[in-house]
Amino acid sequence: MSKCPPRLKMTNRLHVLRAEHRLTQEQLAREIGVTRATIGAIEGGGYNPSLELAFRLARFFNTEINAIFSVEEEK
Amino acid sequence: MKRWDSILLKVFLYGLPAVIILAILSYSYGLGKHSQISDKLTLLNGFVGLTLALWMLLLIYLNIRLMFSGSFRNKVLARITFIKEADEREVMLTGKATKTTFLTSLAILIFLFFLSCFQVSFYRVPPEKAVNGKTGFISLGFGFSLLESPTKSQADQAVQKKDIFSYTGLPVSTTTVILALIIWQIVSYNYSMRRLIKCHDARRISLEP
Repeated sequence: MSKCPPRLKMTNRLHVLRAEHRLTQEQLAREIGVTRATIGAIEGGGYNPSLELAFRLARFFNTEINAIFSVEEEK
Repeated sequence: MKRWDSILLKVFLYGLPAVIILAILSYSYGLGKHSQISDKLTLLNGFVGLTLALWMLLLIYLNIRLMFSGSFRNKVLARITFIKEADEREVMLTGKATKTTFLTSLAILIFLFFLSCFQVSFYRVPPEKAVNGKTGFISLGFGFSLLESPTKSQADQAVQKKDIFSYTGLPVSTTTVILALIIWQIVSYNYSMRRLIKCHDARRISLEP
C-alpha cells in the first residue's frame, strides 16, 4: 500500500514585504487586483493563492515566488 | 448581456408598481366598493390592464432568456442571490457555498420526493364489509404518477370507507414547494458563504501572533 505523503504547510512573508514597501493591505490589494480580505487571508495563512496570483505578487515586489512563499512539512 | 435585454429588464422592473396598483384596484372592484365606475377609472383600468399584459409578456420573455442566455443569467441571478466574485478567493468560496447549497437542496428534493410518494391511510368500513369481523384498516402504499390525477381511483370509490386519517402525498401546492425551494437556495447559499468567510477570518486570527 502506498504511504500517504506528508502534509505541507505553506508559510509566507507577505506581511513583511508589505511593511517594507510601506503598503496597507488595501493598497496592495488594489495594485494586485484582489480584495483586501484576500490579502488578509493570504497573510494569515487562511488562503493559499493560485500560481497566477503568487506570480503577480512576486512580480509586484520584484522578487521570486520562493522569497514570498515557502513550504514546510506539517508534524 | 444584450442591450435590448437590459432595456427590457428595466421596463419589467419599472412596470412592477403599475402591476401592484392593478392588483389593488382589481381587489377593490371585487369587493364592490366602487359600484359606479367613472370614465376616468375605466380608462385607468384599461391602461393598467394593458400594462399588466405587456408586463406578463415581458416576464415570459425574460424567463426564457434566463434559461438560455448565460451572460443574462449571470448578471440577473447573481444580483438577486447576492453572489460576489471579486477575486479568485471569492470564486473559491462561492464554489464551496454553491456545492453545499446544491447538496442540501438535493437532499431536500429526495426527501420531498419520498414524502410525495408515500401513501398512508387509516379507515373504517361498514360492518357488512368487515373482514374477519374487523372494520378498521391500515393501508400503506407507495405511488408515483407522471401526471396529476385529481379524481379518486375507482377502487377507492367502490369501497364505502370512512377515512380516519389519510396521507396521500404532500399537503402543499406545487407552487409553494417551488417557491420554498427558490428561497431555500438563496438562503442556503448566503448562509454557507457567510459561514465560510467567518471560518477563513477565524483561521486567520488564530494564526496571527
